[in-house]
Amino acid sequence: MAKNTSSSAFRKIDIDQYNEDNFKEDEAEQAVPTGPDEGEVCALLNQARYVEALKHVLNNAPLGSTDQQVKDNALSLTLKVLIAVKSAQIEEVVGNLSLDDIDILMKYIYRGFEYPSEGSSGHLLLWHEKAFNIGGAGSIVRVLSDRMKV
Amino acid sequence: MSATLKPYLTAVRHTLASAMCLEHFSSQVVERYNKPEVEVGTSKELLLNPVIISRNANEKVLIESSINSIRISIMIKQADEIEKILCKKFMRFMMMRAENFIVLRRKPVDGYHISFLITNFHTEQMYKHKLVDFVIYFMEEIDKEISEMKLAVNARARICSEEFLKRF
Repeated sequence: MAKNTSSSAFRKIDIDQYNEDNFKEDEAEQAVPTGPDEGEVCALLNQARYVEALKHVLNNAPLGSTDQQVKDNALSLTLKVLIAVKSAQIEEVVGNLSLDDIDILMKYIYRGFEYPSEGSSGHLLLWHEKAFNIGGAGSIVRVLSDRMKV
Repeated sequence: MSATLKPYLTAVRHTLASAMCLEHFSSQVVERYNKPEVEVGTSKELLLNPVIISRNANEKVLIESSINSIRISIMIKQADEIEKILCKKFMRFMMMRAENFIVLRRKPVDGYHISFLITNFHTEQMYKHKLVDFVIYFMEEIDKEISEMKLAVNARARICSEEFLKRF
């Protein structure tokens, strides 16, 4: 008998992966923006145009991008903007954002919590409160459930 | 510093209220079984994104949610050696009695001091807003308890040493 009947390697194959019902992550089809422009954001911050700086950073957020470096750069830039805005002005800045922007802002706030530095978490907590007042529980649910992570 | 306590607890409360939306969901892998999906973690479509809320580098809360269960892990502030020992012993005391606690997990998640595991069965039997209130109350009281215990330890140590040194 030419067949190798003593090999049991077939037992180690994971046949569940061939099941058609398996959940497949949607592949990223559309092109994602490459992230906010650092020079422009710094210029806007220096001119104290916080609302525009924040809008620029949020509109160009690299959602769903696969490049971790791009995401990290965008994150540090956004955190810079968030920390630059003074506590008293947060409410006014948040009032100028659209609801979609508030969702993206919430995503960045939660990401910012993962890297606590000198006083940053306290400031982010203020941002969280003001964004929650406008976005509501829905904005938090969208952070938890959206696959397009920031 | 305690100015951040209230916003910290409000943020945790809002996030918990949004994340604790659990429903009954049997295991997709093994028939007639029901497992907390956040603990199994193999089916990506059943898990929500984990989020962290931090008050500073030493205090944070990790909230991982799924379709039928949520895991809340707390890192407690420990300022010095005594607080480290007290916290460890206190958490160990509670985790050994996790069955009576119902929602407590016997082992904390890596990097945190204590973890809760709340499943849909708990939310069916208990009010969700009360569960959230409980977790927030727990976070508030832990710090107070540990401070109280530390004061008690120091006071007892002082009395003991006074008595001992009176002989000399």
